[in-house]
Amino acid sequence: MSYTLRGRLETRLAASFVPLAAACVVALVLESWWPVELAAIMIGTGLALDGTIYHWLFSYQPGWLALPLALLELGVLMAIVSAFGIPAPLDFALLFFAGSWLLGQILVHAGFPVARLSYGEDGGELGNAGPAAAAAAVAVFAAAGGVAWATQPPTVHLSAGIHQGPLLIDHSQKLIGDRGAVVRGGIVITSDDVTVRNIAFTGGEIGIEIDGAENVKIEHVRISGTSLDAIQARRASVTIRDCLIHSPVGEYTQGIDISFAFDLPPSFIEGCTILGGREGIVTHFANVHIQDNHVSGTTLRALGLTEMSMVMVEGNDVQNALGVGIYCGDYSECMIEDNVVGGTRPDMASGDRTRLGYAIVAHSGAKAEIADNELSRNASAAKAFLGARITAE
Amino acid sequence: MGGGLAGFTAYATLRHGGLAAAEIAVFGTDPDPAAEWRRRAEAIRQRRMRSESDGHVAATSFPGLAVRSAIRRRDLMPLVESLFDRYHPTVHDFLEHVAEVRERSGWEDSFRHRRIGAIRAVDGGFELDEVGVFAHVLLAPGHPGLAFPEGLEGDERVVHAYEPHDYAVEVEVVGAGMAAATEWLNALAAGAAVVSVRRREPERRPLNLPRELFTRRGLRGFHATSKEQRLGLLRSWSTPSYPSGREWDEPLERARGESRFRILPELNGGEQIICATGFKRGFRNDSLLSALVDTHALETADGWITLAPDSTIPALTDETRTLAIAGVPGQWAFPAADTLAGHKYVARRFLRRILTCRTR
Repeated sequence: MSYTLRGRLETRLAASFVPLAAACVVALVLESWWPVELAAIMIGTGLALDGTIYHWLFSYQPGWLALPLALLELGVLMAIVSAFGIPAPLDFALLFFAGSWLLGQILVHAGFPVARLSYGEDGGELGNAGPAAAAAAVAVFAAAGGVAWATQPPTVHLSAGIHQGPLLIDHSQKLIGDRGAVVRGGIVITSDDVTVRNIAFTGGEIGIEIDGAENVKIEHVRISGTSLDAIQARRASVTIRDCLIHSPVGEYTQGIDISFAFDLPPSFIEGCTILGGREGIVTHFANVHIQDNHVSGTTLRALGLTEMSMVMVEGNDVQNALGVGIYCGDYSECMIEDNVVGGTRPDMASGDRTRLGYAIVAHSGAKAEIADNELSRNASAAKAFLGARITAE
Repeated sequence: MGGGLAGFTAYATLRHGGLAAAEIAVFGTDPDPAAEWRRRAEAIRQRRMRSESDGHVAATSFPGLAVRSAIRRRDLMPLVESLFDRYHPTVHDFLEHVAEVRERSGWEDSFRHRRIGAIRAVDGGFELDEVGVFAHVLLAPGHPGLAFPEGLEGDERVVHAYEPHDYAVEVEVVGAGMAAATEWLNALAAGAAVVSVRRREPERRPLNLPRELFTRRGLRGFHATSKEQRLGLLRSWSTPSYPSGREWDEPLERARGESRFRILPELNGGEQIICATGFKRGFRNDSLLSALVDTHALETADGWITLAPDSTIPALTDETRTLAIAGVPGQWAFPAADTLAGHKYVARRFLRRILTCRTR
């Protein structure tokens, strides 16, 4: 077909209407906006290429050319999705693109020529239906965007200075700290869809307590001086990124504790630095990804993954733990890969034979799969106790 | 008016658009719309169409002949070939398709065995001989006759490519277009030695015009030209052409190697001269069109009646009536008017005018 520019754009928009509507439906079902974002990027990419490259490059476009052009558009789409961190699962994105493309091909070769006799001669233009289809696609997108905008949690700025806690967040919001914002006495989150960013916490029993909430994001926070847990999540699904935790040495202090959330979406702990405390990262009966964190100077164990947790431990740096570096216990299943564990010291005072400075311990029926870990300067490397098993790839 | 493929394509389109058979009258001399075309195709022993999957007479482009062939033969190859613009339906498939459309369209109910001699604009429409007055008329008179190079018509050695013929031992083929190329191969296959007599080298392209001229992309610029510019374009596009490909080149190369194929600028006294020189050009060669132009002092340009982009005659078309031209005389609106694509182009616009006519 020899498309006119208007024909290309009208055809693209008209063929995009159904995928866009489908993306809106999926977004409503999942209660997440990435399907709409994915559809918008896909359509926007196509329109941009139509207007800037295809029209000038192809005065005539044979049928076979649709396939390489689709691959080009898919590449651009995935690059944009990756660059903007849109959380679209790869398999869904590929399936959505392929389905949309196939539908477009059917419409171009069969649907539009039947609906409009002169579709081919008109270079893909759809007559009065063209602007209507374009308007409909824009309207669907605008409506979806409007709903997305309207339902976005409000952003609350916490001004610089010390704010006395505990603060309670019981509805969706983004709590963003201005430079120098400090909360003394902690914060309690009981609502879904909460983001806490750029705030320092000091003192109190728990720095950030998340209770019964999902889709909670804790980003760029500094926590120090807590007497129990710096971050504690119960029955919650949480993503914690780029935090800095100074835990004082105390009898029960922990850096991050995520517990009792096995039936909820997995939690993520990424890029955090935890210094000191009894345990650095703790899980009980939870599904957690622990990745690229630095944990050092703990007095019980750096990572304690227990009570039937399923945990992926990858790319972490564990240093100078007393007794045990990474502990996988109580029928938990742990994949421990690409970590560096060094300087683990024996805890002779405990009289516990499982705490003789092991880099990795599996205990009480747990299963630990280990691969590509760098274990150095530890009193002992890895060992399983009480029916636990360690397998190495 | 006109019972050939152009008229038939328009008829199928009008029926698809919702017009009843009783609302349409087709005037022609042969109830088989493909009769004339078949005679010519048989004369040059054409086996495949130059057109592609959508070169058919049905109203909608889809399903094209490739899809129909794929379904009938349970073979995906026609679809794959179509994706690469390599699918050219067989003449047999095309004619079978014409017969199918003819049967289901009600063509016989609308066909009237009559040659119309004159058309005249009157109040409320157009009077066709004494048959009656019609508000909307599509003229599809077909080609006005076979063209022969000057001095050759009547020569005993001469036969036109579109007339039934066999091949002598030495054949001279005048022309360099699709029909001529077909005749080179036919004559060579029959064992003849061939002289291609031509003054212009043919262009090699898949269709008889660049592809963008079949859509608005190319037509928009064409329709925006001045009269002089458009005349120049139409003349330049009359350059003979035939498709590229091994199926054309290899037999010629082989014959050249055997000294059985030569190219000469002039006739060389061969015992048979085949004129693959197409058809007479210009409305003056068609008595009906010629009289129409003279009666209504219509605007013309060289041999063409000047038409609106929708192939109607502007001076005789308004909100209440339509006079449009299909087939080769419609080149002023659609340069490839003598192709199946051209027939559809005119038919669809004719339908649009009828459906939007207030007095219909």
